[in-house]
Amino acid sequence: MRIVRFVVRRLLQLIPVLLGVVVLTFLLVRVLPGDPIRTILGPNATPEDAAAARARYGLDQPIVKQFLDYLGGLVTGDLGTSIQSGTSVGAEIGLRIGPTFELVVLALAVALVVAVLLGVWSARHADRAGDHGVRLTALVGNSMPEFWLGLVLILVGYSVLGWFPAPSGRVDPDTNLTPLTGADLLDAALTLNGPAFGSALAHLILPVATLSIVVVAPLLRSVRASALEVLHSEPYVAATAHGLRGRTLLRGYLLRATLARLPSLAALVFGTSIGSTVLVEYVFSWQGFGQWALRGLLYRDYPVVQASVLVIAFCYVVVFLIADVAQAVLDPRVQI
Amino acid sequence: MSPVDPDLLSIEHLSVVIRRPGREVAALSDVSLRVGRGEVVGLVGESGGGKSMVARSIVGLLPGGSHATGAVRFEGDDVLRMDDDALRRHRGHGAAICFQNPRGALSPTRTVGRQLTDRLTTHQRLTEAEARRAAEEQFAAVGIRSPRRRLGAYPHELSGGMAQRVMISLATGCAPGLLIADEPTTGLDVTLTREILRRFRHAADTDGRGVLLISHDLASIADVCDRVVVLYAGTVVESGPAARVLGRPAHPYTRALLRSVPDVDGRAVVATPGAMPLLKAAPHDCPFAPRCAHATAECTAERPPVSRVPGAADDWTLACFHPRTDELAFAEPAETPGRATAAERAVLEVDDAHVVYRSRFGKGGHAALRGVSLRVAAGETLGVVGESGCGKSTLAKLLLGLVSPARGDVRVAGSRMSDLRGGELRRLRTRVQMVFQDPIGSLSPRRTVADAIAEPLRALGLPAARRAERVEAVADRLKIDRSMLARRPHELSGGQAQRVCVARALAGEPDVLVFDEPTSALDVTVQAQILEVIADVVRDPARGSVFISHDLATVRGFADRVIVLYLGRIVEEGPVDEVFGNPRHPYTRALLSSAPSLGDGFSGPKVTLTEDLDDTDAAAPGCPLAARCPFADDRCRTEEQELRPYGNTRAACRRVPEIPDLLKGSDIRV
Ligand SMILES: Nc1ncnc2c1ncn2[C@@H]1O[C@H](COP(=O)(O)OP(=O)(O)OP(=O)(O)O)[C@@H](O)[C@H]1O
Ligand code: SF4
Ligand code: SF4
Ligand SMILES: [Mg+2]
Repeated sequence: MRIVRFVVRRLLQLIPVLLGVVVLTFLLVRVLPGDPIRTILGPNATPEDAAAARARYGLDQPIVKQFLDYLGGLVTGDLGTSIQSGTSVGAEIGLRIGPTFELVVLALAVALVVAVLLGVWSARHADRAGDHGVRLTALVGNSMPEFWLGLVLILVGYSVLGWFPAPSGRVDPDTNLTPLTGADLLDAALTLNGPAFGSALAHLILPVATLSIVVVAPLLRSVRASALEVLHSEPYVAATAHGLRGRTLLRGYLLRATLARLPSLAALVFGTSIGSTVLVEYVFSWQGFGQWALRGLLYRDYPVVQASVLVIAFCYVVVFLIADVAQAVLDPRVQI
Repeated sequence: MSPVDPDLLSIEHLSVVIRRPGREVAALSDVSLRVGRGEVVGLVGESGGGKSMVARSIVGLLPGGSHATGAVRFEGDDVLRMDDDALRRHRGHGAAICFQNPRGALSPTRTVGRQLTDRLTTHQRLTEAEARRAAEEQFAAVGIRSPRRRLGAYPHELSGGMAQRVMISLATGCAPGLLIADEPTTGLDVTLTREILRRFRHAADTDGRGVLLISHDLASIADVCDRVVVLYAGTVVESGPAARVLGRPAHPYTRALLRSVPDVDGRAVVATPGAMPLLKAAPHDCPFAPRCAHATAECTAERPPVSRVPGAADDWTLACFHPRTDELAFAEPAETPGRATAAERAVLEVDDAHVVYRSRFGKGGHAALRGVSLRVAAGETLGVVGESGCGKSTLAKLLLGLVSPARGDVRVAGSRMSDLRGGELRRLRTRVQMVFQDPIGSLSPRRTVADAIAEPLRALGLPAARRAERVEAVADRLKIDRSMLARRPHELSGGQAQRVCVARALAGEPDVLVFDEPTSALDVTVQAQILEVIADVVRDPARGSVFISHDLATVRGFADRVIVLYLGRIVEEGPVDEVFGNPRHPYTRALLSSAPSLGDGFSGPKVTLTEDLDDTDAAAPGCPLAARCPFADDRCRTEEQELRPYGNTRAACRRVPEIPDLLKGSDIRV
């Protein structure tokens, strides 16, 4: 019950934050050099054509009026129309967000599990060969650019070994997948479409692997540090001095205490993974949210940039909220 | 006493050297001691003496970089040479430690019930269900109220006393042959201390466990131990039957320790100068020699061998060339000249003060003081005693103007604090100075000693030259070496830092000095040195002092009058000898009854309170002590109690006149 009240309170606090984000991005995209109209009309357009296009998108209005129109649209759930494609931004996001979400959530989940398992193992074998190996591997993985890493994985997994499908698209069109959420794996599971599930999974493995390898290192490092701290802490030493068995020590005295320090860090890592996602999507032609947002930015597609920043900000806040709740669940001393 | 089997634990010539880059410590040098089944052995000495190191070596948990020689034989097997498997079996089931700081040693993310069942299932081979049932019994056995509910509690939800009880249950839950308790009662109230120590005696008597009781507090453990071992700088200086060693010690260090401890019977403390050395290698002389009044050339040339105390039984040994055999002489009780009479100038008056700590959200709050009135005359020292949580430190904050009373007021040197604002208030506040419990923590780490002492002078706006003059004058008075004035707090020992804090408090010549537990963070012999300093300072006729402590013995030493606080109220008030010699209120009598003593202690009939302190008692109508008082009747539970004069003391108990008879009728002696 307390948790529900906490979540509701935090969601309410979110409104002014998002409002600030809306104002800032609205102003920022207009301050940035570049003109969306020029990019759609091409170099041969006359000033009259430009003025007409400008009027069509309401860009001839005074800036205050533009902002109020935009805000009014937001309240009714209208994110505007893309200058580039002419379609509703809301509909485009609906199409794009699912695949990206699937990719990020899976990658983070894999990274978390690997980081916890390896981090704790590493800490328990601190300063032995295995520990050094794990840390070195994580370091190497972390210092490889996601772009390059993705290409290498494609080269090996697809070109050389042929185990994985070509990096184009997210699911084999022949499997007749009915899109529901846009997250292909989830859709396949929901519609009980076996072949589509297999195909979506096969397409996911390489990008998920790329993204997790990139984000696992900072997580692993802090899990290891946190576990080491717990191993040297008074409560753990006391439990050892009372002769508890290895398994009891691990499950009862090491894991939860280690994890209790993790959520806020994992939330930060989520933040950095957004940038990596954009690049990974590019490499694997994922046609997801990141790729779409990046193109919007390149073409100065005002409504698209505004909407994508808003979505990212929203995800950020929600992820930190989840982290706080997880922290409270893991650490009994935390009051929410 | 149960029959003693000498083979439970036998430490033979144990030496531990800790080597770290740039640092080498000889933590233990040639230590031998033994603990039998059913026997309680006290391990005493000051901090850094190596007590915890002995405990850790018994369970094979020496810190990294240590190198141990000798043997730690447990039931014949050498712990230092056990393999991992044997060590795991030995830990817990063989020897289990109650850790020094129970709150820190309990895992914060696991319920205390689970932590206990973990021990039970591991060492007693119980199933989960059996373990839960057994855990509940264990909790009840160590005196935890509503044990079933507490099983689900996390450590941070427990009070210090409760955490200590849990810690004991964890250690006994392993069903060990040897129970090791490292400072099990530090920071606990006297009433609780006694009760907790009794648990250990009980473990030895009924379960036949051996118990090694580590403590710096000689008086507390004196009557539960069969034997004591005294450590100094990692060496055993004296060891033998508790009554002998603590009654008529033969080693000069043991004598110094005993003379340093204040006692409720009011005898004066004798300080021993100096502090324990930090040894880098095993000593080749007597480590106590620099501080010893009986040292000769022999003592600095050679390390004294362990030998029998002349004319005593086999098991009383010491390491000293010149054992003392005369009666341990104590100074006469310090004269407390009744200098101050009520007619003299009052420097501090508190009138019906209530202090409420508001809770952060919503209504309500915690009433920390409920109608406290007191008066301190110039030249007088007022002692304040009571259990933890009774409002002692709140009273100190009130006097300093750090909290403002919800009702009532505070007058310093005749000016009412609540009437003043801004600069005037700030100046009035400098008229009251405080000495805190944690000396190093209360000094700013970046300021030099001279700066720290000059702090109140700066607040008064004194020019730099005058400041320097005053600082030197105060430093001289408190025997602070001039060379120390340029140092920073981290370069000071606890005792030196506390001296600086006293100097700082004194620098601005305040009207009132407030001491809040000034010695409880210090070691026994250092404590005695600081008490001497304070005793000198409070004798100034121009100044009034308030001395706050949970330790009755310390207060008795130099207070003229004393007030006893209970749950934010004054329950008794009067001249110190009268209150301590003939307590009127049952609570005062209970405090005195449980106060540890190496001397005669409290001589009147004793009483024990029935239960632990519970905050909810404060809100109940009637006498706040009713839930714990052995003399409570129905009227006590409904009638509010006010201070009434009885002789020259005042007490808030309606049954005072009847109590002498009640004490005779039912012999509540403990
Ligand atoms: N982990 C450690 N590393 C290095 N030196 C240590 C360590 N623990 C203790 N020492 C040193 O060993 C000596 C003995 O310490 P120990 O903790 O046994 O003393 P103690 O009598 O238990 O003190 P206290 O009453 O403060 O607990 C001290 O000189 C201390 O500085
Ligand atoms: S051996 Fe000498 S210096 Fe040491 S305690 Fe005995 S008399 Fe004092
Ligand atoms: S009033 Fe009653 S309950 Fe209170 S202290 Fe006196 S006898 Fe005990
Ligand atoms: Mg210790």
